[in-house]
Amino acid sequence: MTAATTSQAPVWTAGDVVLVAEDVSKVYGGTHALRGVDFSARAGAVTAVFGENGAGKSTLMKILAGVERPTTGSLHVFGEEVAFASPVEAVERGVVIIHQELNLCPNLSVTDNVFLGRELRRRGAVDEGAERTAAIALLERLEERIDPSAPVGDLRLGQQQVVEIARAISLEARVLIMDEPTSALSNAEVEVLFRVIRELTSAGVAIVYISHHLEEALEIADDVVVLRDGALVAEAKAADVDLAWVVANMVGRNPDDLYPELGAEKGEVLLEVRGVSVADPANPGRLAVADLDLTVHAGEIVCLYGLMGAGRTELLEALAGRLPVSAGAVLVDGEDLTTATIGQRIDRGLALVPEDRQRDGLVQTMTVGDNMSLASIRSYLRGAFVSNPAEAKAVKRTISDVTVKTSGPGAPIGSLSGGNQQKVVIGKILLTEPRVLLLDEPTRGIDVGAKADIFTLMAAQARAGLAVLFATSELGEALNASDRVLVLHRGRVVREFDPRTTSKEDLMAASDDAASPEPADDTDGASA
Amino acid sequence: MSRSTTARMAALLTAGVLALAACSSGGGTDKPAADSTTAAATTAAPEAGGLIAVITPSHDNPFFKAEADAAVAKAEELGYKTTSASHDDDPNKQSELIDSAITAGAKAIILDNAGADASIGPVQKAVDAGIPVFLIDREINQTGLATAQIVANNSQGAALVAEEFVKAMASAGNYVELTGKESDTNAGVRSQAYASVISQYPDLKLVAQETANWDQQEAFTKTETILQSNPGVKGIIAGNDTMALGAVAAVEAAGLTGKVIVAGFDGSPDAVAAIKAGTLLATGLQPAVQIAQLAVEQADEVITKGKASQEEKQSIDCVLINKDNADKYTLFGLTE
Amino acid sequence: MNPVPQPAERPAWSLRLGDALLELRAFIALAVIVVIFASLSDTFLTGSNMITMTRHVAVNAILALGMLLVILTGGIDLSVGSIVGLSGIVAGVLLQGWEIPSFNVILYPQVWAVVVVSLVVGTVVGAINGVLITRFKVAPFIATLGMLYVARGTALLISNGATFPRLGGAPELGNTGFRWLGTGRVIGVPVSIWIMVVFAVAIWVLIRKMPFGRWLYATGGNERAASLSGVPVRTVTLRVYMISGLCAAMVGLIIASELTSAAPQTGETFELNAIAAVVIGGASLAGGRGTVRGALVGAFVIGFLSDGLVMVGVSTFWQVVIKGAVIVLAVMLDQGQQRLKRSRAAAAAAATVRHDGPPSRTSTPVAA
Repeated sequence: MTAATTSQAPVWTAGDVVLVAEDVSKVYGGTHALRGVDFSARAGAVTAVFGENGAGKSTLMKILAGVERPTTGSLHVFGEEVAFASPVEAVERGVVIIHQELNLCPNLSVTDNVFLGRELRRRGAVDEGAERTAAIALLERLEERIDPSAPVGDLRLGQQQVVEIARAISLEARVLIMDEPTSALSNAEVEVLFRVIRELTSAGVAIVYISHHLEEALEIADDVVVLRDGALVAEAKAADVDLAWVVANMVGRNPDDLYPELGAEKGEVLLEVRGVSVADPANPGRLAVADLDLTVHAGEIVCLYGLMGAGRTELLEALAGRLPVSAGAVLVDGEDLTTATIGQRIDRGLALVPEDRQRDGLVQTMTVGDNMSLASIRSYLRGAFVSNPAEAKAVKRTISDVTVKTSGPGAPIGSLSGGNQQKVVIGKILLTEPRVLLLDEPTRGIDVGAKADIFTLMAAQARAGLAVLFATSELGEALNASDRVLVLHRGRVVREFDPRTTSKEDLMAASDDAASPEPADDTDGASA
Repeated sequence: MSRSTTARMAALLTAGVLALAACSSGGGTDKPAADSTTAAATTAAPEAGGLIAVITPSHDNPFFKAEADAAVAKAEELGYKTTSASHDDDPNKQSELIDSAITAGAKAIILDNAGADASIGPVQKAVDAGIPVFLIDREINQTGLATAQIVANNSQGAALVAEEFVKAMASAGNYVELTGKESDTNAGVRSQAYASVISQYPDLKLVAQETANWDQQEAFTKTETILQSNPGVKGIIAGNDTMALGAVAAVEAAGLTGKVIVAGFDGSPDAVAAIKAGTLLATGLQPAVQIAQLAVEQADEVITKGKASQEEKQSIDCVLINKDNADKYTLFGLTE
Repeated sequence: MNPVPQPAERPAWSLRLGDALLELRAFIALAVIVVIFASLSDTFLTGSNMITMTRHVAVNAILALGMLLVILTGGIDLSVGSIVGLSGIVAGVLLQGWEIPSFNVILYPQVWAVVVVSLVVGTVVGAINGVLITRFKVAPFIATLGMLYVARGTALLISNGATFPRLGGAPELGNTGFRWLGTGRVIGVPVSIWIMVVFAVAIWVLIRKMPFGRWLYATGGNERAASLSGVPVRTVTLRVYMISGLCAAMVGLIIASELTSAAPQTGETFELNAIAAVVIGGASLAGGRGTVRGALVGAFVIGFLSDGLVMVGVSTFWQVVIKGAVIVLAVMLDQGQQRLKRSRAAAAAAATVRHDGPPSRTSTPVAA
């Protein structure tokens, strides 16, 4: 089960390349997630992998850990070529991944989770005493005061992360992949994590580290690689580079290629958000959005910039009616929609293009055309029946308006590439004739060309008099595709920027923990 | 406070259940309905000679309901308290019910069992606990255990029906047989008895034999299908009345009433009504009420005198019901 | 004959033929069944036998139509068999005279009123299922499993376990005519077949021509996406269970009318036949996929198969085995078709991006 079955590695010493991916490509449905990537990691070193959302980081990690299989290319672990059929095989070779979304059973205790699937046994029965002793030792090594018999569901996210790490250590990982390990951690917990990472590297473990917190990652990294649009575009020693180098390589091409002309005429206030609070759906005791105010005018594109967990998605979902608002008011053109249903909001012109198009945007069992007309189906009625010609006309017009590349409205939605699927979701919302257009990470995981198309679409809608509010975690998008940037941190708007006079560093600094003031819970927060 | 409320609720509920049981026991006998409301009071009378537990298959079937009701009524008449429960032909549930009867300190158990082999263990359990068991309607595959096994003579009754059927068919022509659930002993016994009589007449030809699982709807569908593929069918003989009535409905739907003869078995009230209406030829009456009453009387004898006067295996003859005596029918019995 | 041979067309054409064969697999299964039984039995293909078998099919087909809607939302309705029994019993009580002890009267409602009341009862039971599922978030399997027992128990309670015989009504009470549902004919075709046709057409219109249908498919395909598109997911789900209850109640009436008697245990395990018909017809239990045509063909496959086996005289035990095997086979074929479709879609998508090159490794970093 553990690394003991493969060659124990006296041969492999710190600095040796122990994990190699050669010319790895991966195609999902229609999208090239990775294009010919050559990647390597050294024993006893931390390799940080940078890239914007959709650049292919997570895909690469999944391939390294045996979760996904590459379309082309090969993997070598400790000098042997491998083709992992499953994560279990990867674990047998000592390659362990800690996913961004934790893979724990919340109903089981800490000890049970650490030993899940390879329980210690004595005479066939689970040896609970031995498991408990081992779990306590692991947690002590991680300096985390966690009751090993507590159900994981009762722990804070940061503590759950530590449990994942304890599990990885107990697997005798020799290559440990950490996908966004700090996104849910407090500063103190990050300190502990870094100490643990240093301890592991000094024991010869190779660490592959992914984070959106660039400075944090640079601090711990020995080697740095940057992915962009599925390709590895730069690599260097961490000591030789700085934050600016990383950002430049992440963003890549000249931003002007990607972004359209802005500056539509600003009109009346269309969307007004007054003191809105939203409970965190995953953790109802906590507020994901706290007492937030904002306004968006007709013809204006406003960007909500923030890191993961800043509350962007929760805010947009609350505005769209998916999540309940626990305090405050949402007004569209002066009309109070705080308690309206999703359908009523769509009727009044407030609609959301969700972040996760597979989960929230598309019905996979329906065709391109049926997906597109779904939200506006009642506009094509003749009597009680759907008028097929009217519907077909609207769909056809929208397919060409939003430039979807498809064989026709009858094509299955799964036959489209990610970018074209996203355009279908946008087309669906546009068919409802919105006045306020909400978009959550509209360019996540799509090709560059489609990104440009989508920004052009947003600009065109603004010119047509819509109020556009979109969320992003990408600096380039925030600064180049909006008229105004609101920085969201811990559920509050902490700063407001004019993108024309703001640098990436300013924006990043404002969004980061260290730079922004910790808003006290009893104040009304640092609104812009 | 809340506890006393719960207690009161429970008491009410129990009373309700008792009242229900009392009502249904009234329905099965010839007593006027007014009597049944006082039955609950009678069962609770202190001079009663203890508890008799009556366990039968599901009361869905009027046959078992009549049987259970008759046993309860007889026992109460003799001054016993009673419980009446259904095991739904589930041996496990039967075993649980017998456990409850033992715990409740029953003086005797009247049982229409849930399987000839599967019931041996539970009966043994009751006997070990010192409770005499009186089996009715169905036997078990072991003797010397139960105090009595009183069953209708299925074979004799089926032979009676078959003879009547042969007579109505004028000893010649094609016929169909609908058999009961193939896992049920009585289905086999009746089918064999039918065959042993009918096979003596070479001009009677069995063109289709299908199981309809004792079920009316299934018998209806299968009969319709069989009538399609065998247009020359003159008669249908069914293993019980429910299936016979399904066949009658199919014959009517095909417009063949009077041309296709149907015969059943059990002597259910619906079948007797059909006989009176002329759509059903005959049925074999299983004297369920008589058997249940006999079992209770013998139980009373054992309880009061400590000894059984009858042999263990008792077979009660069935009676043929046809147009001639249908008027004298009472629920699973005949007036003399 | 064709002067311009087009060799490149051929593989595409044969692929499409393969597709069509799979698409029509339920029809093909039905055709195979008809051919086999027609060769084994002279009477199988006669008009009157076809009508009889279709009448038998109608019962399951009407249930399957209601079940189809439920399955399209990704749910399941295990209570339909019990609703069949309950609806029959309600009709039985009313036709035999509904005693109201407190007023000391016996009501003999008109037949149409009896039919309406029974259908309403079925619909209400379906609505209870729907409320449990949408309001109280009980999983459909559990909610309808519970209702399977509750509805059956209610039927037994109402009837006190007895069968209501002789539902023909009496002329002096003005409640004759109930038999027409099960035994009447219109233009030579039995009423129950007409009812099946009416239900099939109504449900086809509902799900192909009305917004409700689109909402239904979307709810089953992706509930989250549907609700974010403004689809009233809860209402759709509630309605679907009500329609299923209505269909079951209709079946209960047809059976009670055919037998002119109502037994509380009527309809046991009918839900399984209905689910099988829907699944044979190509619906996905995960929701979002399935057609009226498929459900009907599925019901015909099951009905013709069981009637055919009886006509040919196959032993009862083999009948059960064969039926089970056909269900599994049909679903296996369906899985094959889905895999084929998916790989085809992936190939098509891959073709559209093949020309996008990777970004250049040597691209100049933007000024930091």
